[in-house]
Amino acid sequence: MDRRRFLGGAAGVAAFSVVPRHVLAGSGQTPPSEKLNIAGIGVGGQGAGDIANVAGENIVALCDVDRRQAAETFKRHPNARQYADFRVMLEEEAKNIDAVVVATPDHTHAVASMMAVKMGKHVYCEKPLTYSMHEARELTKAAREARVATQMGNQGHSGDGIRLICEWIWDGAIGAVREVHAWTTHAVWPQGMERPKETPPVPDTLDWDLWLGPAPYRPYHPAYAPALWRGWWDFGTGGLGDMGCHNLDPVFWALKLGAPTSVEASCSIFVPTITWDKPFNTESYPQASIVRYEFPEREGMPPVELTWYDGGLMPRRPPELEAGRPLGDKLGGVVFVGDKGRLTCGSYGNSPRLIPESRMRDYKRPAPSLPRSVGHHKEWVEACKGGKPAGSNFDYAGPLTEMILLGNIAVRMSLKTQEKGLRLAYDGPSMRITNLPEANEFLHRQYREGWKL
Amino acid sequence: MNGVNEGKDRLSRRSFMGQTAAVAAFTVVPRYVLGGARNVAPSEKLNIAGIGIGGRGEGDLDECRSENIVALCDVDERHAARVFKKYPDARKWVDFRKMLDEQKDIDAVIIATPDHLHAVAAMAAMKRGKHVYCEKPLTHCIWEARQLTLAAREAKVATQLGNQGQASDDNRLVSEIIWDGAIGPVREVHAWCNRPISTRGVGRPPETPEVPKTLNWDLWLGPAKYRPYHPVYLPFRWRSWWDFGTGVLGDIGCHQLDPVFRALKLGYPLSVEACSSNMDEGPGVKEETAPKSSIVRFEFPQREDMPPLALTWYDGGLMPQRPPELEEGRRFGEADDNLFIGDKGKMLGHRLIPEARMKEYGRPPQRIERSPGHHKEWIDACKGGKPARANFEWAGPLTEVVLLGNVALKMEKQLYEKGLKLRYDGPNMQVTNLPEANKYIRDEYREGWSL
Repeated sequence: MDRRRFLGGAAGVAAFSVVPRHVLAGSGQTPPSEKLNIAGIGVGGQGAGDIANVAGENIVALCDVDRRQAAETFKRHPNARQYADFRVMLEEEAKNIDAVVVATPDHTHAVASMMAVKMGKHVYCEKPLTYSMHEARELTKAAREARVATQMGNQGHSGDGIRLICEWIWDGAIGAVREVHAWTTHAVWPQGMERPKETPPVPDTLDWDLWLGPAPYRPYHPAYAPALWRGWWDFGTGGLGDMGCHNLDPVFWALKLGAPTSVEASCSIFVPTITWDKPFNTESYPQASIVRYEFPEREGMPPVELTWYDGGLMPRRPPELEAGRPLGDKLGGVVFVGDKGRLTCGSYGNSPRLIPESRMRDYKRPAPSLPRSVGHHKEWVEACKGGKPAGSNFDYAGPLTEMILLGNIAVRMSLKTQEKGLRLAYDGPSMRITNLPEANEFLHRQYREGWKL
Repeated sequence: MNGVNEGKDRLSRRSFMGQTAAVAAFTVVPRYVLGGARNVAPSEKLNIAGIGIGGRGEGDLDECRSENIVALCDVDERHAARVFKKYPDARKWVDFRKMLDEQKDIDAVIIATPDHLHAVAAMAAMKRGKHVYCEKPLTHCIWEARQLTLAAREAKVATQLGNQGQASDDNRLVSEIIWDGAIGPVREVHAWCNRPISTRGVGRPPETPEVPKTLNWDLWLGPAKYRPYHPVYLPFRWRSWWDFGTGVLGDIGCHQLDPVFRALKLGYPLSVEACSSNMDEGPGVKEETAPKSSIVRFEFPQREDMPPLALTWYDGGLMPQRPPELEEGRRFGEADDNLFIGDKGKMLGHRLIPEARMKEYGRPPQRIERSPGHHKEWIDACKGGKPARANFEWAGPLTEVVLLGNVALKMEKQLYEKGLKLRYDGPNMQVTNLPEANKYIRDEYREGWSL
């Protein structure tokens, strides 16, 4: 309990200025021997799993706008105080909480994480880090300034697969990589549809206004909450935002990617009506898309083209892959095309192999150069207690998320302009699309009254 | 049971013209042997019958207005009403089989039914020695395309597929530029089409509304499996429904890939792979309608002095990568277009890119005779002139390859899970590494229908 007194000064909350954690709290850290006091924000669904993964610590508060979704987690932690509004929770529990786990829908990640960061709380946030590129940039900056321990929920980052990929590529196993193809399978939520017209009553167990958070108001519909928000432009980030953070993670790390110089997209352009498709939907992510990024030369690595496929689309089978051997796994995969060979893996960087298998068998693997992970959530817990930064801390996860969300802007512009093969030129440091000014409107969005970053 | 083996037998037998009677009841007698068939001199007019005359059929008939339109057949009175009125002297029919049996003055037929009726109508006409103009794709399944090709050859009738784009100068320019070596050997072609056709990636409607009095639903279904009537199928919307149409690839492939096949002298591919937005849909969707968006990848072997070719098809809004040669700000092709990637340059449609390269290049030497018009080619052929350029010898194999793309699409999930590309033996119409795929080579017909 002693350590809490250091956090007393964190009442500066209201001012929302970011003060480095060590200033706020002196040494301010929870020693490894003590338990963290953790609050969950969005604790149904994936949040339930995240809370379970840190349940070795003290779960002191749980916040969810949907009591029914959260019921299971509420029950499992009877001593945790329950909240519906994370803003209220963070204010009331300011002195009791060391760290928060954010697993709301995408559109609420940034506002929740930012408030916590500004209060000097450590943050574990589900992927993608944020809904908009601007939010990712700001949140990354704020976390760095606040010196809090952060981790994004791309748990494949802690796997051995992604490390092997890095080590083999850095070892020159396939030579210089100039082309990469990555994909995920069909979304498990619907995409490519129009906004429902019915306005059913909001369930008693749901605070719809809080669920909407910073997003523009619209009437409640079960097509959004609790489970299907990922397909809607206003709330989710589509297949790319969801699975891209996992499947593009090994590409981003192994190839030391940062901001691309260009991005182009093409996608499924039709929305079904009863008998006739209507082109160019403005409400939801398309059913299938292809996004192509170009990255400049990096640290001795040549420029690389990265192509993303989703909604059932796939890259061509590499000729090296033996007949009868599936490409990737049930959730997608990656093909790295190098000057001297190809490497494939499944989703999350799992099961990397040089292909064909004879190549893999002949390959003399380098000694491991990357330390193995203690576990994704554990990395973060240890970082919160003064250990080394977690692997997918926001300095890593922010730029990864920016790249992914830029792809969605390309998808959006290809729908909006109805222009095929439109290539957006992008300047990473200034975060501007330089050849199509109107695309910049999607770098961020206006929050609803009462919400701010 | 196994249609493919049967097809194989037929092919090998058919390659010896003398033995063709082996095709059960469907003996095709060469036109000149048939007593009743009339030779029409170029100065005379043909007697033409239309089968499926609403929609696209109207346009085809109009293109042949210089001839006598003597009969019109349609199962949908309302959809055909305007055309019936336009040709008041033509006899009206609902069932093309009856028309062909009873009206003896017909020299030639124009078929513009839904895809699933093309083959039965075209075959019925050819068996009676009639010339045939048939809308694209030539048939609904690969096996039918093969049978029509063989039958047309034997019957020696004049044929033409309705891929009218082949008659353009642009179509010829594609071949002439490539044969001139302007972009060097071509190893990669990307073709895309954003045509909406109708709602895809959906399941069958549950309602069973009453059949309109103006429609003979049973005849509209023809050889297809019975299902209750619904306006979601017609007019036109059948294109998305696998039992009737052939998706975007079937609808447009025979147009758009025609110049690719001609310029690059393509035959059967070695393999096909496909993926689409239907990949993870259940059978209620994927067995019913074509996907909203798809990619189909064909690999062709070396042909003459041309290297192996990878041909990729995209539809539903998907596009290949924008070529860096394309000028900044320039629209990347039309709603449907082809990109040819050669060792020494690229061509978008029938123009080298960038445009500066085209200007510098000028025009290739003309090697291919220009067309008097797509329908005119056929009319001339019917009157003893030379064969039309998209006659069934050409259109049959082209349709087979296009429809093979649909076989791969229907098998996309199995191919993905088994880690395969679909390997294809073209001459024998056989998928060699995934036997289940062969069920899509030949349609099963409903009782009472046969080829």
